[in-house]
Amino acid sequence: MQDPVQRVREIAGQLLTGGQVDGVLGLCEQHGGVGPCLFRGEDDLSSLVLEPKYPLANVCKLIQARYPNGRLGVIVRGCDERALIEMAKREQVDLDKLALIGLACTEAQAVECRCRHPYPQRIDVGERVEGVAPTVDENVRKLLEQGFNERLAFWHHEFSKCIKCYGCRNACPVCICEECILEDELWVQPGVVPPDYAAFQFIRAYHISDKCIGCGECEAACPMDIPLTRLYALVRETVRELFDYEAGADVAAPSPLVTTLEETPLLEVGER
Amino acid sequence: MEKSADGFKPKILAFCCNWCSYAGADLAGVSRLQMPSDFRVIRVMCSARVSPEWVIKALAGGVDGVMVLGCHIGDCHYISGNHRAKKRFALLKEMLGYLGINPARLYVDWVSASEGARFQQIVTEFVETVKELGPHHGPEG
Repeated sequence: MQDPVQRVREIAGQLLTGGQVDGVLGLCEQHGGVGPCLFRGEDDLSSLVLEPKYPLANVCKLIQARYPNGRLGVIVRGCDERALIEMAKREQVDLDKLALIGLACTEAQAVECRCRHPYPQRIDVGERVEGVAPTVDENVRKLLEQGFNERLAFWHHEFSKCIKCYGCRNACPVCICEECILEDELWVQPGVVPPDYAAFQFIRAYHISDKCIGCGECEAACPMDIPLTRLYALVRETVRELFDYEAGADVAAPSPLVTTLEETPLLEVGER
Repeated sequence: MEKSADGFKPKILAFCCNWCSYAGADLAGVSRLQMPSDFRVIRVMCSARVSPEWVIKALAGGVDGVMVLGCHIGDCHYISGNHRAKKRFALLKEMLGYLGINPARLYVDWVSASEGARFQQIVTEFVETVKELGPHHGPEG
């Protein structure tokens, strides 16, 4: 099989030379690390890399906001694509002006992210591997086996580490409100650390419940290692069970929380 | 937590929609139906006006149980407000469970303006449920 990096470079090169796009958004090595990069000419594609996983949806949104008429190629993993779809639903990005280069994740990456769909809808590079159910994770199982008091104690311990840096929110591709409730004094008292987590983490968890695409950026961004994805994975599973809906799957499917019961029926949820 | 002679006296919030449940509660009152006095009614224009943040904040702030009462499905004054409420709180209940709050502390149901007796029954049953669950200590507990 051809080296995935070579294959992506080829596809990106074709898009650029063919004039289909004005630039290709991907990753390149820079300053001793890997970061997002907008490739403009075919010649500089030699610095393009694919690893490690780095979210590009937010970067894509920034570029589109600055250059609304620019046509962009974007290298997307499953989570990047789902993020772009959720953003497009809320008019944050324009999918018509994007050419997606689909990159499938490896099995090890799928397990690490507890990702149900570790591949985009069209795979250009890499092999499709089966995803894993988020609840398969040992830590999530453990949480589900506990009683309510133990769970509350667990989250109390975890959330008391919060330094209110807002990293989880800032890194989140689907946190798009211009006025964030987490900055509203009515809900989150300024100058208090850790924040009252019922007002901070609980509300945040609810706010992203119908749009969380499971990229894990919140947890990756958290300097205090709060296991946010354990909670969000369960919430995503519940949304799947209750509404037969998955965020990021279909740009034409509205959130089940804003439709009527006729449009998206409420299903029974299994025992937990 | 305030305790009465016979034990735990819960604090319960009941969000009632203006068009059905609040009128139902009113009917229960003028019909002089006997009810526990452990709940406080907050009148809202629609059950969909009750945002999950309120429920979360109430439970975190020392309330032992929250009721959200709206019009029956199909009878919503705003056509589909209660559809949203139903979905929203079905999801929130599951989430409360994951976070360690017994979902039984949140009760969502529908009471029409003519169902005073039903209001009495629902409230009495929920107060009993919360009494059995005991005081909710909130996230700090």
